[in-house]
Amino acid sequence: MLFDHRPDPVLGAALRDALSLEDHSTFVARVTAATTVPHVVHWDILAAWARRGIVAACVGALGAGLLVGAMQPPAPMDLVASIAGPSAQELVTALVPPDPSVVLVPPQVW
Amino acid sequence: MPWSGVARGSLTIASLQPTTDAARIAAGTDAELIARAQAGDRAAFGVLVGRYAQTVRRVTRAVLNDPDDADDAAQDAFLSAMVRLKQYDARRAFGPWLVRIAVNAATDRRRRRAVRRVEPLGAYLQAAGTLPDADTDRRALGQRLRRALAELPERRRVAIVLFEVEGYSHAEIGHILGMPEGTVRSEVFHARRVLRTLLSDWRDEI
Repeated sequence: MLFDHRPDPVLGAALRDALSLEDHSTFVARVTAATTVPHVVHWDILAAWARRGIVAACVGALGAGLLVGAMQPPAPMDLVASIAGPSAQELVTALVPPDPSVVLVPPQVW
Repeated sequence: MPWSGVARGSLTIASLQPTTDAARIAAGTDAELIARAQAGDRAAFGVLVGRYAQTVRRVTRAVLNDPDDADDAAQDAFLSAMVRLKQYDARRAFGPWLVRIAVNAATDRRRRRAVRRVEPLGAYLQAAGTLPDADTDRRALGQRLRRALAELPERRRVAIVLFEVEGYSHAEIGHILGMPEGTVRSEVFHARRVLRTLLSDWRDEI
């Protein structure tokens, strides 16, 4: 009988005795008490709200960006001049692009 | 103090009602208790815990070989079962479904355990001095069996416990452990060979 279909009562009883833990009622009370504490609910709530929260944050950031952008006055051309001087203003508003050779001329060999 | 009929009647109903309800819940079938628990009745779930606690604790102990870890894993299993109770298919047996959760909970806990702790020998040896011989022998045999079980591969030891102790069939064990029935037969056979040899040696010694 290579594979016996019937349980072995002697081995079963010995294993049952070896593995059974005491304090059955204490354990049941412990689990019952744990079931009344909503210990997993926090993560469930966070997980349920995570996707909606991310979408709401994206929409809020986009709206705030648009609002701030609309409230800012357009930068005047004088601002460029005040920062970089009149030549920069001419460069920005020039119809013909400047000649790059002015900048790219190799340095004079002494 | 004289009792009025109404007061006495009220008292009787009030005092007996909870006991009657508790007794009715405790006497319910698994299916009835599960239906109540699915509706949020914690008392019904508590009855299920009491009904299956020994099985679940034995299975988790077979996996973890440590009584404290086994109880923690068993508690994890019951809490997990409670959370997943809505997903439970009432057409299937509750026991194998719960045992599968218990095996997974114990396996997860074993994986998380950085260093494998072995059941301390000291408690048994200390207690042995004050116990009658029969108890001492029984505890010593239990210790040997647990050590022998710990030497077996995890699936083999769970399979032998489910078959020999909990009375599940090979097919049910295959469903619980996610392995073919033929593999379960083989695992039970190999585990039996080891444990029967241990029992035989034990009888020769005493």
